[in-house]
Amino acid sequence: MTKGDKILIIFIIIVSLVSLGFVKKGAIGYKEKYVSIQVNGKEYKKIIFDNAVIGKTIPIETEYGYNLIEIGDGKVRVIEADCPDKIDVLQGYISSPGELIVCLPNKLVVEIKGIEETREIDHISH
Amino acid sequence: MKRLNKLIFLSLLVSIGLALSVLESLIPLPITIPGAKLGLSNMVILVTLVIFGFKEAIVVGILKSIVLVLITGSISSLMYSLSGAILSCIIMAIVYKFFTNIFSLIGVSIFGAVAHNFAQVSVAAIMMYNARIYSYLPILLLTSLFTGYFVGLSSIYISKNLKKNLKSYSR
Repeated sequence: MTKGDKILIIFIIIVSLVSLGFVKKGAIGYKEKYVSIQVNGKEYKKIIFDNAVIGKTIPIETEYGYNLIEIGDGKVRVIEADCPDKIDVLQGYISSPGELIVCLPNKLVVEIKGIEETREIDHISH
Repeated sequence: MKRLNKLIFLSLLVSIGLALSVLESLIPLPITIPGAKLGLSNMVILVTLVIFGFKEAIVVGILKSIVLVLITGSISSLMYSLSGAILSCIIMAIVYKFFTNIFSLIGVSIFGAVAHNFAQVSVAAIMMYNARIYSYLPILLLTSLFTGYFVGLSSIYISKNLKKNLKSYSR
């Protein structure tokens, strides 16, 4: 192990921690959040969290495969999948905006998105 | 005879890489991040790069990815493993050729692991049409540090030994 190796390791640790901070920082500052389920890049379903949807399961059956998604109290997870590795099931709940569950074989992305506070002005009258 | 020997040795390396890939899929990881794996087969590519050179290493890498699809049966993973193998091989070759006085094989291996992860995340982002997949990259970089370190460490010992035994076949 040379000096260059140590510098490289420290450099990568710093870079990844800083970018991790940026990813997490993007998660705060949202008033409301919703679940966006995307299959093959297109939005398949959009679910806004409220008390009515807690405990609901959503089956997603597409030409790429089958996944079962469960909505919890402000969180979401995949509980069943027909993909071979089941990484999406093992990942468990996600809850903050920007977090996502990906199932690569089924081309499925479950993402939590934030709704930004609307600062736009609806109407101006002179 | 020399040519034949080299051919046989390269195909042995491919099969070792395949065995390692299958073996590492059986080892459960404590973290569940899509795309995070031990990358033990990277060891084979690195050793090939050290002993034979860039051309042979990239051939071993591509062959390993293609034959692995026949074992695992998931065609969608071919894109990921192929892109990862090619990019990491190119990066490792550049670092190994020009920066050997700065980085040891550990550094070369870490560069390879980082490139491998970057290529895979990029392919995933393109295939899923979702740039948010890049938010996995920081965590994957951290894991690639660990895996890259150990792969590099073991490659040092392997290549030291093999270089002695294969002096007549290399290059």
